[in-house]
Amino acid sequence: MASGLQGLPSGYPGLDRHLAGGGWPQHALTEILLEHYGAGELKLLMPALARLSQPDRDHDPESTGWLAWIAPPFQPYPPALVQWGIDLCRVLIVRPREESEILWAAEQALSSGNCAAVLLWPGVLSVAASRRLQLAAEKGGSWAIAFRPLSARSQSSAAALRILLSASREGTELHILKNRGSRPATLRNVLRDYADA
Amino acid sequence: MSSSDKPSAVLQAATPTPPEIKHVPSSRKPVRAAIKARLWLCIYLPVLPLEALDRQKRTTARAVFEDEQGIRRVMLANEKAAAAGIRPGLSVNAALSLLPALQLEMRDLEQEERTLKRLASWAEQFTSFVCIEAPTTLLLEIAGSLRLFEGMVTLRRRIARGCEEKGLTAQLAIAPTPLAARWFAKADREACIDDMALLNRPLSVLPLHCLDWPDSVTESLGGMGITCVGDCLRLPRAGFARRFGAARLLQLDRALGRAPDPRVSYRSAEQFCALHDLDEELDDRELLLQVCRQLLLKLERFLLTRQMQVQRVQFSFFHLRSAATHRVLCSVQAGRNAEHWFELLDIQLDRMTLPEAVISIRLRGGPGQLSSMATDNLLFDPSIKPREGSIACLVERLNARMGEACVRGVATVAEHRPQYAWRPVSVSDTAPRGTVRPDGGNEQPLPLKLWRPLWLLQEPERLASDDARPLYQGPLTLLDGPERLESGWWDDDGIARDYFVALTVNGVHLWIYQDRNKQAAFWYLHGIFG
Repeated sequence: MASGLQGLPSGYPGLDRHLAGGGWPQHALTEILLEHYGAGELKLLMPALARLSQPDRDHDPESTGWLAWIAPPFQPYPPALVQWGIDLCRVLIVRPREESEILWAAEQALSSGNCAAVLLWPGVLSVAASRRLQLAAEKGGSWAIAFRPLSARSQSSAAALRILLSASREGTELHILKNRGSRPATLRNVLRDYADA
Repeated sequence: MSSSDKPSAVLQAATPTPPEIKHVPSSRKPVRAAIKARLWLCIYLPVLPLEALDRQKRTTARAVFEDEQGIRRVMLANEKAAAAGIRPGLSVNAALSLLPALQLEMRDLEQEERTLKRLASWAEQFTSFVCIEAPTTLLLEIAGSLRLFEGMVTLRRRIARGCEEKGLTAQLAIAPTPLAARWFAKADREACIDDMALLNRPLSVLPLHCLDWPDSVTESLGGMGITCVGDCLRLPRAGFARRFGAARLLQLDRALGRAPDPRVSYRSAEQFCALHDLDEELDDRELLLQVCRQLLLKLERFLLTRQMQVQRVQFSFFHLRSAATHRVLCSVQAGRNAEHWFELLDIQLDRMTLPEAVISIRLRGGPGQLSSMATDNLLFDPSIKPREGSIACLVERLNARMGEACVRGVATVAEHRPQYAWRPVSVSDTAPRGTVRPDGGNEQPLPLKLWRPLWLLQEPERLASDDARPLYQGPLTLLDGPERLESGWWDDDGIARDYFVALTVNGVHLWIYQDRNKQAAFWYLHGIFG
């Protein structure tokens, strides 16, 4: 957890080039905006998550490197996770009964120091809440990823990185809306890089 | 208590009549005594019915009454009441006419039992063998404790002081058999006998009323001029058994150590349960938490003395009008540290709304388990809790607030049917270092050609179709397939499906299948590639 400045390689070279630090911002909040699920939002994250879930020799294997999924809209399918190289022993699925608990659980997970990444599907995310998530991620040295609807585009947010995914038959377009330390950009077909590799 | 027979209060055959039965511990044959003999200390609480009900009202005239077939009779009166002539057996009306200011209370057997149990739990610090002889007696087997507590006299003094501090009037006696100890205590003889050979004499002079035999038996014996234990022993055994019951004869034999008298030790409940009645209704969160903390500290002490820990505790908040509010706290790792439980309770209380103010709080500790001492350090740190910062800690906090089923791990299962190819597991299953694969080997990721979707729908969703072509937000383009999955015919959930990867007009990759079991070959959506 030393610098926090070095980016976490996304596994997609085309994307890394545009991200500050050469990868996903660590110890910070990333927002992914999408119109409907299945736009490639998980595929985008999988290589980085797989790397995070692998046991880290320097750290206590029991207590670090967990991937928490908080209130996912469907069941994350374990056989597919394994195909992507995720260590299932590090996966934690949290299903709060009430929407208000999603942010609470996310904050707990982020600040605990146990989770390398926390994926969350909050119903609504106010600016204040995004700031809290950002702070919790910094505190726990974790990576918060919030999935939000397109309508959140006009809202401001404390996230270090905001990416809008739009899928079409031609492929997934990736709009970097906000990019702390670098510039916004629009990328096409980045997701293909990995699939072909 | 009466002691009618002074002259024969003899302890040792050799030494004649010490004025009070007071035995100097015999130093003879210590080895034999240490190996085999048992020694019983009896705590008899003569006024327990009064004291169990007592709440600092000792100065007034009080009496406890019992309901005997509709007639209320005084069962026990305190000194002041007795001075006014209130005797056991008097009817309540008569007692009140004698002394209108008399405070009468119904006997509360449950309360007495609770008091007795509390005392038994307390007494467990002196010996591991405590038995409760309802309604008013405790028996402690102390042979093994003498050395630690520096002999009978010291131990006895400590126990006497303890009872006094608890506001209980106690009569103590020590004897080699449980019944003898009990009878001596009831007779209020300060007996301290540790040798079976010395038991006979002092036992013989005990008046029969100490034996808890029914009045009818004692009276008919008395009518024959038989007033003490020794008189009974002189009667022919067969005749005595016939007239007064073999059980009574057996009792005498047991008291003298001629017949074995096995006892069952009271294990103070392995389950902790404590109730705190509040003086007034409370709804202030902080004050309630304070009470809960006290209860948790009690739990901690309880568990500590038993080398136990618990994995769940239950708080119950009782209200005057509404039904009680129950809250269960679960810990991923068993523990007893009060602060740790307190932390969890704090989280729960945060999201809990009590229907009204609280009048009493109860704490129950779930089934205890023996603690492993491995985690204790040399300073005997009583806290065994998940290591600060471990994943168990996080899971516990999440569970505390959201309920236990909310946090799960996942695992794959070697199974062709997609819906059964995984299962949720509890986090502690996956947490241990190394990997526990639920399917025991066979952990081959599917061949990369057969991509599985990252999202699976809980239930397949039937798709509309147009001319046998599936629709989902418009017509679907089939990209890949079919992958035929046919399995599970042996149980009732067999499938025969052709799976395809399909692309929607919006560019979303779906995992759909056509059901081959049915005539109509419907299309279903089962996953999204995410």
